Amino acid sequence: MSKSPKQPNAILEPRGSIRLDDYVIDLAWSGDSRRIAVAGGEGRIFLVESETLHATQVGDHGLGALAVTWQSGGDRFASSGQDSRIVMHDAEGRVLAEQRPAMAWSAALSFSPDGTRLASAAGKQVFLWDADLELQFKAAPLDAGVAALAFDGSGRDLAVAIHGGIVVYRLSERGELRRYPWAAACLAAAFSPNGKHLATGTQDGSVHFWYLASGKDSQMRGYPGKVDCLSWSGDSKYLATAAHDMVVVWDFSGKGPEGSRPLQLSGHTDRIECLAFQPKGSYLITGGRDWRISLWQPGKFPTALDAHLTDSEPSSIRWSADGRLVAVGERNGNLSVYELVKLP
Amino acid sequence: MPTTDRVPVTVLTGFLGSGKTTLLNRILSENHGKRIAVIENEFGEVGVDHQLVIGAEEEIFETNNGCICCTVRGDLLRILGQLLKRRDKFDYIIVETTGMADPGPVAQTFFLDDDFKQQFSLDAIVTLVDARHIEAHLEQMNEPGEQIAFADVILLNKTDLVDAAALERIERRIRAINGTAKVFRTQNADVPIAAVLDVGAFDLQRALAVDSAFLEPQYPFEWAGVYNLSAGKHVLRSGADDSHHDHGHDDHEHHDHGHHDHGHHDHTGHDHAGHDHGAGLGLALLAVQAADDAALAAAVEQAVRLYADEPVTVACGGAIPAAPVFARIAIDHAGSQFELKIDESGYYALFLEHAPAEFQLQLADQKPLAQRAFASHHHDEEIFSVGISDAHPLDPKKVNDWFSYLLQSRGADIFRMKGVLSLKGEDRRYVFHGVHMMFDGQLERLWPVDAQRTNTLVFIGRNLDRQELEAGLHSCFA
Repeated sequence: MSKSPKQPNAILEPRGSIRLDDYVIDLAWSGDSRRIAVAGGEGRIFLVESETLHATQVGDHGLGALAVTWQSGGDRFASSGQDSRIVMHDAEGRVLAEQRPAMAWSAALSFSPDGTRLASAAGKQVFLWDADLELQFKAAPLDAGVAALAFDGSGRDLAVAIHGGIVVYRLSERGELRRYPWAAACLAAAFSPNGKHLATGTQDGSVHFWYLASGKDSQMRGYPGKVDCLSWSGDSKYLATAAHDMVVVWDFSGKGPEGSRPLQLSGHTDRIECLAFQPKGSYLITGGRDWRISLWQPGKFPTALDAHLTDSEPSSIRWSADGRLVAVGERNGNLSVYELVKLP
Repeated sequence: MPTTDRVPVTVLTGFLGSGKTTLLNRILSENHGKRIAVIENEFGEVGVDHQLVIGAEEEIFETNNGCICCTVRGDLLRILGQLLKRRDKFDYIIVETTGMADPGPVAQTFFLDDDFKQQFSLDAIVTLVDARHIEAHLEQMNEPGEQIAFADVILLNKTDLVDAAALERIERRIRAINGTAKVFRTQNADVPIAAVLDVGAFDLQRALAVDSAFLEPQYPFEWAGVYNLSAGKHVLRSGADDSHHDHGHDDHEHHDHGHHDHGHHDHTGHDHAGHDHGAGLGLALLAVQAADDAALAAAVEQAVRLYADEPVTVACGGAIPAAPVFARIAIDHAGSQFELKIDESGYYALFLEHAPAEFQLQLADQKPLAQRAFASHHHDEEIFSVGISDAHPLDPKKVNDWFSYLLQSRGADIFRMKGVLSLKGEDRRYVFHGVHMMFDGQLERLWPVDAQRTNTLVFIGRNLDRQELEAGLHSCFA
């Protein structure tokens, strides 16, 4: 057993903030951690220098932007919006190409881990593009509107969350590989980094996951409301979810989470809206309606290591690729950058 | 938690061609100063001034709580979820459904999600009814009846395309399906905006207005009149004025008034066959003491008893037997005659199953000396309303048990329910409403000190059993 009380081994140090004139709906870090692309709920796309927090508006998606995603390790990012457009920008924000694949909101957007492909969804359709926005593959319309997209760690497969389960496409085959049916509105999709599990959260308040090797599935019930954010720890040991104001972390080591009690981390006093595990790491950051962000190390520390009050409700939290910086976007347009500082 | 004003949402339903688009355009173009977001069933997103029109493809799915009737609109969950991600909220949201839509899933969407409950308030379901086609639609399909049943506000539109008798008949039929909705007769969907927006039909804090007439005792007849008839033969005739009655069924395809029917359904050749009320018109004739309201009132009980008998069937042109009698006459709208034999001169009361205006009914070419309309529970509809009023205080625990049972066992058939209850030992009114199995109820304002505390309940649904519902309420008596 560990000594108690333990001293926190890391904190979040504020590095600066800026107020953007829009609701922060999505964020994406450049591969070199120097820039942050921001999608605004009322339409604007900003590019923010992470060092100086100098912001420039570089795009506009009309009535509302919906997503941004940065090319992994690359020098370009894509944005999408309610105007149906998908726009590819260079690292300075200049437009490289744009497409309007369907007369529907282009909602979900995701770059493949190797940076060669971009997946987008509009209504019930999934599109796959190359980095220059040349169409590579257009999937047959699904039975329901797409709620989320996620590549697996190798970039070989793409998971699509819809009502009724998860559809996985094998990109080399340009076709559907497998369906993981679950009779509920699936709101999220996340492959574990080790490629063994695929997890989703549902409108009905449950987490569902599949063992990819066997196809066996399990359901974790008892959430008081919809589960729309999921995040895996870098070592694939933990899946973090939120149950109202409680961080609920399932342990996938050993025999797996079935029949076990999850870690339940309390500290927030209102609904947790967003959470993100450090890429390749063990730190977790959550943001809630209590206008607070908290830093955790699940399995190591039962309480929050650090917490900061925000200027409004946090709406998007993203770690830089190197796992050192965190960008927190808020409802009122506030964007803050924190640095994870390890304590001796 | 920061509290926010909830954004009201109106759900607009109605068949293709009923005038939904006309109403929407009217709302959007009127200078009301509201920022309105409209979610339409066709894609074509445009921002008009401060208004946003979003296209959505209806996507209905069941929730996973084990109840088949708990269906919601997945597309609305997504789109409204995005609308929440703006700092500048809209003042109002209108969701337009497709013509064939069941309004249930849309309404239930606003009960399902906690976020939605905090951010949006379902204001009212507004149903447009195409006066010219509704009777045919009601015969042919389930959806029009469901749309009427779910409504808080009904616009009986295109009234210029049917005659007064048909309007009466249609409105009565609408009332039989939905006894509590506010009905407006309109042309070109022209109605004050206040009649359709900010209605507060789901707002428990506003008084639940239930039409008191709906809760009156109900009778098997709708109208009674007193005549002074001499001994001998008289004529009862319908459809006296032929020219007035010819409202051109064959011409229907030609007066489209710019609305788009797209040949959605073929109505030609439908010649009132659907609303001949099955087997003619029920009629009771009995002698009364005088030609006044008191004499008429005294005769009501006897008329109810007569109506409980097997009717004498009278073919067109036939003779109605002497009073007291309950007959069913084979009447049609175009013009039919019956002979009425009176043995003894005096005052007679005629109790009709349906109001005489519908058939242009004339007895002995006289005007009635006294007359009265009655609330009727007579209905040919599969979907109808049941209103119950009772002053007995209720036991909260028993009420809870009864509602649980009702929602579990009858949730699929009960489209809407609402009411105000008087709970024993409680000085506040318990107010509730529900859509299928989604239920919301709470204690609200105090009962007025000097007022009679009454339980008022309204159920609208398919094949409801009044006796069962009444017995259920009685089982809750404290």
